[in-house]
Amino acid sequence: MAMEKRIEIFILTVDELVSRTRSLHDEGYRLVQICCSKVDESGKAVLELDYTFDKHYNLYNIRISIEEGAEIPSISEIFGSAFVYENEIHDLYGVSIQGISIDYRGNFYKTAMPHPFTQD
Amino acid sequence: MGKQTIIPFGPQHPVLPEPLHLDLVLEDERIVDAIPSIGYVHRGLELLVSKKEYAEYVYVAERICGICSFMHGLGYCQAVEEIMEIQVPERALFLRTIWAELSRIHSHLMWFGLAADAFGLENLFMLSWRLRESVLDIIEETSGGRVIFGACKIGGVRRDISPETLRDMCQKLEKLKGHMDRLTGVFLNDRSVGYRLKGIGVLTREDAQRLGAVGPLLRASGVDMDMRRLGYAAYERLSFEPVTENDGDCYARCAVRARELYQSIDLIAQAVSMMPDGEVDTKVLGAPKGECFMRLEQPRGEVLYYVRADGTRYIERFRVRTPTFTNIPSMIHCLKGCDFSDVPNVILTIDPCISCIER
Amino acid sequence: MKIILGVILYIVAAPLVGGILAGIDRVLSAKLQSRVGPPLLQPFYDVLKLFEKRTMIVNRFQNAYAWCHVIFMAMTGAFFFEGGDILLAVFALTLAGIFLILGAYSSNSPYSYLGAERELVLMLAYEPMVILTMVGMYMVAQSFSFMEIAASQRPIILYLPGVFLGFLYILPMKLRKSPFDISSSHHAHQELVRGLTSDFSGSMLALIEIAHWYETTLLLGLVYLFFSFNPVVGVCAAFGTYFLGILVDNSYARLKWELAFTSAWGIALVLGGGNLAILYFIAGG
Repeated sequence: MAMEKRIEIFILTVDELVSRTRSLHDEGYRLVQICCSKVDESGKAVLELDYTFDKHYNLYNIRISIEEGAEIPSISEIFGSAFVYENEIHDLYGVSIQGISIDYRGNFYKTAMPHPFTQD
Repeated sequence: MGKQTIIPFGPQHPVLPEPLHLDLVLEDERIVDAIPSIGYVHRGLELLVSKKEYAEYVYVAERICGICSFMHGLGYCQAVEEIMEIQVPERALFLRTIWAELSRIHSHLMWFGLAADAFGLENLFMLSWRLRESVLDIIEETSGGRVIFGACKIGGVRRDISPETLRDMCQKLEKLKGHMDRLTGVFLNDRSVGYRLKGIGVLTREDAQRLGAVGPLLRASGVDMDMRRLGYAAYERLSFEPVTENDGDCYARCAVRARELYQSIDLIAQAVSMMPDGEVDTKVLGAPKGECFMRLEQPRGEVLYYVRADGTRYIERFRVRTPTFTNIPSMIHCLKGCDFSDVPNVILTIDPCISCIER
Repeated sequence: MKIILGVILYIVAAPLVGGILAGIDRVLSAKLQSRVGPPLLQPFYDVLKLFEKRTMIVNRFQNAYAWCHVIFMAMTGAFFFEGGDILLAVFALTLAGIFLILGAYSSNSPYSYLGAERELVLMLAYEPMVILTMVGMYMVAQSFSFMEIAASQRPIILYLPGVFLGFLYILPMKLRKSPFDISSSHHAHQELVRGLTSDFSGSMLALIEIAHWYETTLLLGLVYLFFSFNPVVGVCAAFGTYFLGILVDNSYARLKWELAFTSAWGIALVLGGGNLAILYFIAGG
């Protein structure tokens, strides 16, 4: 059995997200992606949001865990490219993200049902 | 200020045979806004990972996209290998590099054709696709497939290339260079082509960085970033400099891709000359446990894979962040303020691959 | 009686000539691009097939406009080749074009709407040169009648080389070829899909295609006039011009309407106007 492989990841609370992102931006980091995964945590569905940043080919990861349907702040004011990921996460997972710079209000992904990625 | 018209562009449009929908808001013939929407051909490939055994999923990963097929397989394999800490044999790493660069050549040649079609030069379109055909022949000869190679697997590659074939391949690519001179010559020197490309869809260096552009789009704006610098596969041992241009317009993007064609041929020649002997795969035992991010440089730019495995034979979560997806903000930015007749050029020079977006 | 027979002959023969020319265009373009290409008669097969297709009509005026377009196009040629006034023929040609534009405007599709706008711009771009051509021919032959110009025995091309070059420049606009296939391209591979004709279908589209064949024949007839002192040279020149058009089509990217407009007017002014001015002073002095 192989060893469990872990990546360096900083687990933050929702409140810390914007301030940490801003300091990363000021240090010259670039937003690579925002990824949302649905995980089961002791029988309860939790959404994990991974924010990946890059500087000189080194990754810096932030993870926040939220409950389904929770509200989080947008980082698109800090990183201009964040709005596509945030719209995607909103359309597919139903996370409501406050203050997206270009908000398509659920019209970015054409889906047959609302928030398909949260369905089982 | 003129009357505003909304022009639907895609998902079925002859210039953009990709399922992306854009609502272009026009004032006379000037674009004031572009609103994208996607999701027309979503295939649920990311979900499929939990239904297929991890070694079998390579085939699915290769089918994310027809053009960067090999790269998607490679990225997935590398991510799983990273988690399981598998040492891939040297020769396999070099073979992967060669196939990856062949993919890049055929992708760029295809792009040149589509770009020519976008500005209405059908003759050039035929020329690029004819050249691409010869690259596809090389790919078929070495991997057995033309579009989906099926060559990559976890722990190595599925088949070896004989030294004679490698030598042959290098000669064919050398010959291809001559034909490519003609092709890129037209793109870079023809007056009417220049009229359609120069100064169109300018993305400044600052905007490119702010909007998270990647790949040739970013390099055409003067930013020297190429994920091959990470040194995956055999890139660590090959010498190359990322191709950059400074103007950030459609012409610069053409120039970057044109020079990358030659760079790829050069990288293949280097890889062939340094190719070590030995096995091409290792035995893979057990199942992955853990998570990892893996990045590659696809023809369209940086791609990121996230794999999370829980120690069973089924991977828990697989995510692909494709270059086209992260280039959408730049595309919208470039479209604003340009002429309606420039729309095909601007969209094409971003090189959108919507099937990549629609995992 | 002879004129009526001639008109009937023209109405039947012109689309055949135009269609075969279109077929030659497709075969030759394919050869230039190293493709196999379609058979010579493919344009006819296409049109016959279009007639069999169900015609979707988006607007009740659209049909009438398409019919007017083809009728006026046929009439134009009839005026022209049966010794009528070429000035009248050219205005009838413009009228035919206007009907097509109205047909495109009458639909709600943004593609045909923008196509119609661009066609209007193109019309503004090429019309001065067409008028200058007519004026030039009158100055040389002292007549607006096709027959008299054709019979004048004077090599018009030697008097009007500038006008001829200017006319060649605007020819791709009328033939809807690269670099000026701005309002509606043959391949429908542009941002406007098919532009002007996006909303025509079935038999209406077939009619417009036939009208385009009439137009091709007519335009080559105008080229013939420049060389009418010798019919053999004239026919060769007309075909040569068409082949030149195919060659240019295959070697230029599509330009934008701003450049099409300014360059067409610039050329009309410099080549056309300059040529006429020189002719005027020579004749006057």
